[in-house]
Amino acid sequence: MGNCCSDAGGRMAAVGGTAATDDQNNAVDMYLKSRGVHGIFCQIELSFCATDLQDRDELSKSDPMLVVYIKERDGSVTEVFRTEVVLNSFNPSWITKYTITYHFEAVQSLLFHVFDVDTQFQNVEVKMLKLEEQQFLGEASCALSEVVTKPNKSLTLDLVRKVESASSTHSQHHGKLTVHAEECFSSKTTAEMTLSCLDLESKDLFSKKIPFLVISKLAESGISIPVCKTEVLKNDHNPTWKPMFLNIQQVGSKDSPLVIECFNFNSNGKHDLIGKVQKSLADLEKLHSGKEGENLFLPTLVGRDYENKILKSKLFVDKFSETIQHTFLDYLAGGFELNFMVAIDFTASNGNPRLPDSLHYIDPSGRQNAYQKAIYEVGEVLQFYDTDKCFPAWGFGARPIDGPVSHCFNLNGSRNNCMVEGIRGIMMTYTSALFNVSLAGPTLFGHVINNAALIASQSLANEARKYFVLLIMTDGVVTDLQETKDALVQASDLPLSILIVGVGGADFKEMEILDADKGERLESSTGQVASRDIVQFVPFRDVQGGEISVVQALLAEIPTQFLTYMRSRHIKPCS
Amino acid sequence: METKSRTLEITILSAEDLRIGNKPVKKNAFVVVSVDSFNNKATKINRDGGSYPSWNDKLVMDMPMQTVFITLQVKCCKGSSGGEKTVGFARIPVTDFVGGYSPVNCLQYLSYRLRDPKGLKNGIINVCLRLKGALRDCSSQAASAGGIGLGIPIDSRRDLGVVTGIPIWSGYPANSLVR
Repeated sequence: MGNCCSDAGGRMAAVGGTAATDDQNNAVDMYLKSRGVHGIFCQIELSFCATDLQDRDELSKSDPMLVVYIKERDGSVTEVFRTEVVLNSFNPSWITKYTITYHFEAVQSLLFHVFDVDTQFQNVEVKMLKLEEQQFLGEASCALSEVVTKPNKSLTLDLVRKVESASSTHSQHHGKLTVHAEECFSSKTTAEMTLSCLDLESKDLFSKKIPFLVISKLAESGISIPVCKTEVLKNDHNPTWKPMFLNIQQVGSKDSPLVIECFNFNSNGKHDLIGKVQKSLADLEKLHSGKEGENLFLPTLVGRDYENKILKSKLFVDKFSETIQHTFLDYLAGGFELNFMVAIDFTASNGNPRLPDSLHYIDPSGRQNAYQKAIYEVGEVLQFYDTDKCFPAWGFGARPIDGPVSHCFNLNGSRNNCMVEGIRGIMMTYTSALFNVSLAGPTLFGHVINNAALIASQSLANEARKYFVLLIMTDGVVTDLQETKDALVQASDLPLSILIVGVGGADFKEMEILDADKGERLESSTGQVASRDIVQFVPFRDVQGGEISVVQALLAEIPTQFLTYMRSRHIKPCS
Repeated sequence: METKSRTLEITILSAEDLRIGNKPVKKNAFVVVSVDSFNNKATKINRDGGSYPSWNDKLVMDMPMQTVFITLQVKCCKGSSGGEKTVGFARIPVTDFVGGYSPVNCLQYLSYRLRDPKGLKNGIINVCLRLKGALRDCSSQAASAGGIGLGIPIDSRRDLGVVTGIPIWSGYPANSLVR
């Protein structure tokens, strides 16, 4: 939405701190991004309690312990955590918590087993206990997203134990397990500061003043670690820098000592230190309220030792304010939903669906085609964020049995209702639509985007707390590029993100124009420019080895787009 | 029929990539918002933003019912001599924020291409606005909530006929005209 670029180039721009729309620890974020790992990372602490555990032994109560496993996509199960053993309880509340990183773009399946630890092992360390020697009380499983999307972030599951009897295998319920999630943020508060200096001294009268500030935190060992730096100002003895945003978590706490150094920029990289101060954020806040300045000091060599020479230059804090940055999970807890919508390309260029070389071929052996794979990958993640699990599903570019070519028809064949139930519903209506329409063309997105925008607009009018994600899958380059741009520009102010996935072997270079990350902001034919970048495009590729799939990488951007929309409109999680 | 007017609250946020005579603007840019030739208001002057100024200035104006366009002019004043030059202007059709996707009274974020007096592209301007007015201006798109079936015309609301001509050689790749 028109974030201006810094007008200071050549490494003189401000770095670090936290941008107004960013709530993560930037150093960690950049480290991970540089290694190709994207997305919003959130550390979540899971705590557990159980009720009504059946006692196996009539004479004494159970000594229950919980074991947590992670279920991979291929079905393999790995143990990751054990709680402590609670003695003599049917309703244990375990104290030890499990910390897990929340990945929006993946389905993180968890499996829980509750064991009754035999009394003979009372003094054995938890990690040494052999599970096969304990009594199994019950199991439960869920996805991490199911827990975090619950209003109070608590999910209660039935513990079951499969009982094999002579006639059949059935599950019996043996109590309930409650999983509760908390975000690990020491603080969501961000401090915004505007700093300035008066009377900067210089080594000689004629040197230019090109000052900038570096704020570092002091680690326990005494080493200072830079946290952020301001932009470089030219020719200014009394500089005032642009506002800086620091997440209190980045520096530790409000009382953590910080070193603020003022340097004179030198294009050869050896910047001269003009002076520095050592203050914590709390001290800076006092400077602001007292409207006082703090003298800079400069460690100077006197004889053999360094002495701190106090300079007449002063540092002032012109503005200091704190705001709370809400995270994506805060919005989910406040009742916000992500609604999934899907549109599939039924143009003739896909090939005859009955032939094996068609992109729409439904393999009887069950192997998914590219369309099915992508829908499944996106749908299975997003479905947890949608309470009613009913999704609009459309096709475009085909002739339904009794009509002309439609550029937006309901996959379920109905005239008025575009909704299908669950991912299964999408897959089933997709397969049945394939044999009920004749593939035609051309590839037009305009109608689909307008329908999605209408739905988003109606939801906005009803003040529903929904954000929409439209997945468009196509095998070819869009024909109505300008109309698509027009539709996108008009929809850019709505709570909508559009993911376009290209399947097949076409050259999708032209489609990259739609993704503002790779080019300029979209402009309509009437001179209106998109206020937000709502489109992301990626050509679909099969996953090689252990790398993250391209579709998952797309999904990882969604929480950021969601947060940018909410924050720029000052929409808070709870109203 | 009496001429009622509505209240337009428009906040001029920022502008990007402003140039005069092919060189980036150095300072002193400001924006004049006009509802008609007699009804205009200006933002404060941005001293140091250069070619990427930001104002965040909220202006409240009356907008008569028959207004068709709102004009934004980005100007640059030259020092103390008082002269001002028009860097670029954009015309926002009222239909872009009335009767579109956004409901009444909703805060809308819009951005527009600026063109200089010769008609060449010259930057982008970002605004957010809210229109307070008569209830019957509800979003015509949202009101036709009958259902999403086949064949919704794309631009049924553009009946005021805003047309912008784009010279054929300046943007359309040749092969997109023939499909």
